[in-house]
Amino acid sequence: MAEDVVDVLIVGAGASGAAVAWSLVDTRMRIVCLEQGDWMNPAEYPSNAANWESQSFGPYNIDPNVRGLDTDYPINDSDSDVTVVNFNGVGGSTILYAAHFPRLHPSDFKVKSLDGVADDWPIDYDTLEPYFAQNDRVMGVSGLSGDPMYPPKQPPLPPLPLGLVGETVARGFNALGWHWWPSDSAIISQPYEGRDKCLNLGPCMSGCAQGAKSSTDITYWPEAIRRGVELRTRCRVREITLNDDGFADGVFYYNADGEECFQRAEVVVMACNGVGTPRILLNSTSNRFPNGLANSSGLVGKNLMFHPVGTVQGLFEERLDSHKGPQGCCILSKEFYETDLERGFVRGYHMQINRGAGPLNTAMTGYINGTIPWGPDHHDAFRQRFDHVASIGIVGEDLPEEHNTVTLDPALTDSDGIPAPKITYRYSENSRKLIVHGLARAEEAMRAAGAVDIISDGPKPVAGYHLLGTARMGDDPEASVVNHWGRSHDVRNLFIVDGSIFVTASAVNPTSTIQALALYIADTMKINLANLFD
Amino acid sequence: MPNLVSTDYLLSEQQQLLLVALLDTLIPASKDGTMPSAADVDFKYYLSMQAADFVADLTSILGQLDPAFPDLSLSERCDQLTEFSASEPQAFQNLLSRVYDCYYQDDRVRSKIGVVNGAVFPQGNQIIPGDLALLDPVIENASRHSYRKA
Repeated sequence: MAEDVVDVLIVGAGASGAAVAWSLVDTRMRIVCLEQGDWMNPAEYPSNAANWESQSFGPYNIDPNVRGLDTDYPINDSDSDVTVVNFNGVGGSTILYAAHFPRLHPSDFKVKSLDGVADDWPIDYDTLEPYFAQNDRVMGVSGLSGDPMYPPKQPPLPPLPLGLVGETVARGFNALGWHWWPSDSAIISQPYEGRDKCLNLGPCMSGCAQGAKSSTDITYWPEAIRRGVELRTRCRVREITLNDDGFADGVFYYNADGEECFQRAEVVVMACNGVGTPRILLNSTSNRFPNGLANSSGLVGKNLMFHPVGTVQGLFEERLDSHKGPQGCCILSKEFYETDLERGFVRGYHMQINRGAGPLNTAMTGYINGTIPWGPDHHDAFRQRFDHVASIGIVGEDLPEEHNTVTLDPALTDSDGIPAPKITYRYSENSRKLIVHGLARAEEAMRAAGAVDIISDGPKPVAGYHLLGTARMGDDPEASVVNHWGRSHDVRNLFIVDGSIFVTASAVNPTSTIQALALYIADTMKINLANLFD
Repeated sequence: MPNLVSTDYLLSEQQQLLLVALLDTLIPASKDGTMPSAADVDFKYYLSMQAADFVADLTSILGQLDPAFPDLSLSERCDQLTEFSASEPQAFQNLLSRVYDCYYQDDRVRSKIGVVNGAVFPQGNQIIPGDLALLDPVIENASRHSYRKA
């Protein structure tokens, strides 16, 4: 029997794996994607049941260590200021993300040149612009053109409703003369490509039963599969193997029955996010790469970046219907996005306005922060707060630091015996100052909007939503892991397309940029197909 | 309903009296009578259908209450639960989350607070689109708010 060799093997079916598969299918190469999780069934998402809120504490928890599904892998974050958030399945973390979809700014690619910190990217905003637009069309992005904080762009769908929350906070921003704009959101505001529009269910972060939230299982994957990509679920990759010529020649993985399998491949594309990708690379050791595959620079797993996050809740006398509508997609402000050294820190943050919580979350959070007691006074306090709250999330730029790392845990493993990742991470002084500043400004905005009570919290520990920087791109093989189009400096048929390759983190949610990068890398691979390994 | 019956068997008559008093202490009926007590929603059904894993913990908590707890005044019951919450904070928080989870799933409660009964899908919610004319000051000040050239 002839050996089964695929042309392109993609590891991971999330935001970037889906985009790169969708694009590469143009080549008519044989493409296989291995995904450790399952397909999701939207009929099982929590909003199909009355207990939709409590399900988000358990089986749909954003923290894999709490969720503990057998498709998850444990993450040792005992030495980290931040807990990692992810999801494993077709669609990856887009299943549970808020779908807040801003792009990186032009300045984000040039922070060394502009502000003298970290490093410039080897590519710029203009390079990615066509791929941002392509990704917006495939995913289905709602928004409003004309935001002066960006070069011109045209979201394919009109913005999501501001609601009373958005209007209220916007008036606060206007009173202060600050920037704000309706958020670009990967949630469709009108019927689009066979999907129906958002119903304002609320719990986006436990899966969208309506299919209005643009997770890649319902956007990129159906078309990629229809056009010939093979997606195998319940296939957990352990390591990438190397041939005598120094090329990746396949991967070992475990199937649903826990059996070890080997898939040979001409090209390997890693799309496992900023924790999963370095985990597999570090677990792929050989005589040539004793410290992990593609790691001659020593930077695989280093420079881990999250986004420092803080929240400010404002309580309003008038009812805001705040439990209704997409939780994390409303309006944003970029007033403090760029560096102003008089603030005492470099780079900046954006303010992401979030809608309020459901009744269970309101009651429990109120108990924990002391605003809603149990007992005889419960109802009055609950009435005052439920549906009367707006929230501002501070999302700050995290600068790369080599001591923030993903390594392999010496003892902890997943259910297949593969070493689990260990996170070592500390908030920098810059991040802490940034959050203090952001919380104070958000409080100011809430007061200007008419809030009668304000609660601030940050930097928050469960904030590892964005996993970035652990296999950074660059032109210098000694200072980066992949080149300017995602190809490993060391292994010329190994590509990385996920958030690992970010050089700097920016101060916005990264999924839009991760996917634009994946499309750009796929396009560059197609252009260079005849001499891909030169 | 075999699950309900088995749950009934798990709690003795005395434990059920304690449970009713406990629920009525954590969320009494509102003073204006519009909101029911947590003892008036079907906690036993909730236990059987959604929280069977909590029965052992609940039994343990009930076992730590004063046997005369149901006969105490509301104020005295609150004092006892405050003491319990201080000595067993995790157990108390777990208890409270289950009681709240059950209470705020109840259709009568949801109707009173303006939340869709049952599953939120497919009914969904209506929210106002919002007034985009609020953006006028931002647009008028576009030069001050423009992106940083790189």
